[in-house]
Amino acid sequence: MKSKGKQWKNFIQHSSLAVKLSMVIMGAGHLRYGAIAKGLIYLMMEVSMVCYFINRGWRDLKGFFTLGDQRTDAWAGIEGDNSIVMLIMGIFAWIVLAAFLYFYVQNIRGAYRMQKRREQGLPQITFRRELSSLLDQKFYVLVLALPVAGVCIFNVLPILFMILIAFTNYGGKVVPPELVDWVGVDNFKKLLVLSKFAPTFGRILSWNLLWAVLSTVLNYFAGLGLALLLNKECVKGKAFWRAFPILAYAIPGFITLLAFKFMFSYGGPINQLIVAHGGKAFGFLDLDARWSARLIGLLVNCWISVPSIMLLATGHLSNRDMTLYEAAKMDGAGRWKQFWKLTMPYMIFATTPVLLGQFIGNFNNFGIFYFLRGGLYMDGYFLASDTDLLINWLYNLSIDNNYYSIGAAISLIIFLITSTISLLVYVKSPSYREEDTFQ
Amino acid sequence: MKKRIMAMVMLGCMVLTATGCGSKSSAKTAKTAGTGAAVFNGKLESNVKIRVLENDTAISKGYFKELIDAFNEKYKDKGIEAVDANMDQYLDLANDGPYGYGPDVLYQANDVIMKYAEGKHILPLPVEELDCYDQIPETAWKAYQTKKEGKTYTCGVPVNVQAPQLYYRKDLLPKDWESKWDQDGDKVPDMVQTWKSMYAFSKERHKEDAKSYGYMKSLNDMYFSSGFLFSYGGYIFGKDNTDPSDIGFAEGNAEKGAWVLSQLASVMNEDCIDDTITTNAYSKLADGTYFATISTPDVYSTFLGELEKTYEAEGDTKDEAEKKAKDNLVMTTLPKLPESGSLTDQSDKTIDSKSMGGVNGYAISSYTKAPNACLEFVKFATDYKMIKKRAEMLGIAPAREDTAKKMGGTSSQIYENLDKGNIVLMPSITEVAQIWTPGKTFFVDLAKDVFRTDNKKKYKDEGAMKKGLKDMCDQIREAITTLQ
Repeated sequence: MKSKGKQWKNFIQHSSLAVKLSMVIMGAGHLRYGAIAKGLIYLMMEVSMVCYFINRGWRDLKGFFTLGDQRTDAWAGIEGDNSIVMLIMGIFAWIVLAAFLYFYVQNIRGAYRMQKRREQGLPQITFRRELSSLLDQKFYVLVLALPVAGVCIFNVLPILFMILIAFTNYGGKVVPPELVDWVGVDNFKKLLVLSKFAPTFGRILSWNLLWAVLSTVLNYFAGLGLALLLNKECVKGKAFWRAFPILAYAIPGFITLLAFKFMFSYGGPINQLIVAHGGKAFGFLDLDARWSARLIGLLVNCWISVPSIMLLATGHLSNRDMTLYEAAKMDGAGRWKQFWKLTMPYMIFATTPVLLGQFIGNFNNFGIFYFLRGGLYMDGYFLASDTDLLINWLYNLSIDNNYYSIGAAISLIIFLITSTISLLVYVKSPSYREEDTFQ
Repeated sequence: MKKRIMAMVMLGCMVLTATGCGSKSSAKTAKTAGTGAAVFNGKLESNVKIRVLENDTAISKGYFKELIDAFNEKYKDKGIEAVDANMDQYLDLANDGPYGYGPDVLYQANDVIMKYAEGKHILPLPVEELDCYDQIPETAWKAYQTKKEGKTYTCGVPVNVQAPQLYYRKDLLPKDWESKWDQDGDKVPDMVQTWKSMYAFSKERHKEDAKSYGYMKSLNDMYFSSGFLFSYGGYIFGKDNTDPSDIGFAEGNAEKGAWVLSQLASVMNEDCIDDTITTNAYSKLADGTYFATISTPDVYSTFLGELEKTYEAEGDTKDEAEKKAKDNLVMTTLPKLPESGSLTDQSDKTIDSKSMGGVNGYAISSYTKAPNACLEFVKFATDYKMIKKRAEMLGIAPAREDTAKKMGGTSSQIYENLDKGNIVLMPSITEVAQIWTPGKTFFVDLAKDVFRTDNKKKYKDEGAMKKGLKDMCDQIREAITTLQ
């Protein structure tokens, strides 16, 4: 910190008037030291920035804080503010401002560097040379400039928007043309404190964690097992057998889910069989069917996900170093031991990132219970059923009931949970710690 | 009453006109007679294209083409042309309209239209200027009314009424029905006139053949099941469905309705718990497994088609099958309910069945550039001639009295029921979105209860049912209020 202050003092003392002028008129230093093109570009930037701010930037920034103060009334022909558009444009203005500040600092630094070169009697780097360096040492800047801008607009902006929504009262009755307001951390407080939410949140979260772990483990081992089985030399017609899981994989998930829902419904084939054999129809997925519905969910998810894991594992298994297995065999290791000591470490090493992806995917698996058992609210749950995951609850709250801000708060929490778990697991995993060893 | 509404609408319009003065639209405020938004000044815009969003069936069956062709022919000289908006029926006017992407005129159910009215995305209309104004019953107009700043506005024009109907097959009646199942001797089978007889008949039919059933309908559908509650005094929201703080599914003797449902479920099978019966009904009615079910009028042709197929498979020619199916498939209003709620007691006192229903109609977007031309289109599309054509081509039940009377049959029955207040129109406030899932959960639980063992039963008496209904109302209330 001290050295920064010193640097700053140094800069003030030693910088020339032209450099100091760059702090007010961008590009002034560059123009003074002969970098006309660059100086003009900086000047243009400042002019456009001023124009942008006069035209709308300033309004957008102000709108970001107020989120509008005139309500639209289409009947009276009053064109009012749209809080949501204002929020988005506000975020955009901040991004523009940040980019401008970056160039502003670059402008002063550049000018100071040129002054130093002049003082040391060194020749100035020409604009042409700087441009050509973009095709050489600084090629990465050229290549990444457009994607970074794209990421800012199409990725960062919506994410920021979603995050910020969690701090507003957007949703319910407060949707345009009504004006939205900032409410701080009220939505998070509601989630934790409100008697309706807190118990539901706790219940759903614990089931969600259990579900994510169980389904990931189940899918992984089932897929690996299937791949190992179909990898065995004694299995005849491997291509033929492999085609079946691929078929299951090729059918869109929601169609599979609706088919399973029908199979387990009261009028479905399974109940028909039970009734035909003198049994009583069983509600596999109905109101009272908490654990049978959860189990069916796990198995159906397995049916949908196993083929992809199997394909992945088949690829990895063919890359194994078979000499290791031969050596192990000679040393007297049985099949089980070979699996735990050779196959598993290798597979875990190779597939940890995929496993994490599976975990996140399962944690946020919206389709399974939406299609299998949607549209029920249970006792003890607020706008949710006992099989719903956080993501389903999020949907019930935000889409069905329009509570966008609460929905955004929940998705932030989901993000925190999943990113913490993934990061911890990944950092601890051999794929990360021994990246170079297991090649 | 109508006069009072008119006066209120006019008053509202005056205020609107006044508020409009200070704004951009002040140029358009020179107002002729009539009410509605200030922009309806009677000056037809010329050289405009009106984008009309119609119902998919009206488009596929060719009615919409006839409508716009006729309109365009009439208004050719004035430079007004109506075109298909070519948009999805589930559009989002609130988000698309302000940016010029929405339709100018839209045909939707009352609850959808009124959702837009809340944000003023559709214009209040000078409805008394329309030819259909006196022909449409007050209940239907009410479905399109909204209160803003203490004043009432009408934001849509009712066209067609939707309400559940009983479907049954005449050829499945017992041979001796005239002696055994027509106690009142009116040549109409008792089981389609009272739920009590329907219950007795269903029991008997199932007893004779374990694979056959009488009346079958999934209980899980709130739209159909809630009518039983309304018949005994239940309601959705207080103050004519406008006050969401008063949720009335448990009011009056609504528990009797739940009891009737549970008695009916006892003569069905477990399929009534989930939506199995709803999806199977077409084929099961056709193959004779079910004798009767309830559904909306717009699926009549699907029931008919299935029945025709069955007859053809039995060896009839196509024409014979078509004729036979038309003769045997009957769509009629719902049977009467026992006053006591018991389907087995001796009393013959009955009450009318009420049901949930909806009114589809036209509305005009607030974002249209040609409101007067749009109003002209709505006038044209809701006049006697067009509505009659619509009813003939699409088999809808018109909201206009003259057309309904002319069409006769189910159309006039539905109209009468609407007029009598037996069709409870879906509320026009946004809170209605919260009733479906809690409602469904209750009805699933009620249906499931019939098949639970005695020691696990939750709804053993009317008291327990009342409590269940109250819990459901609480759930709806929480969903509405918790986050407000």
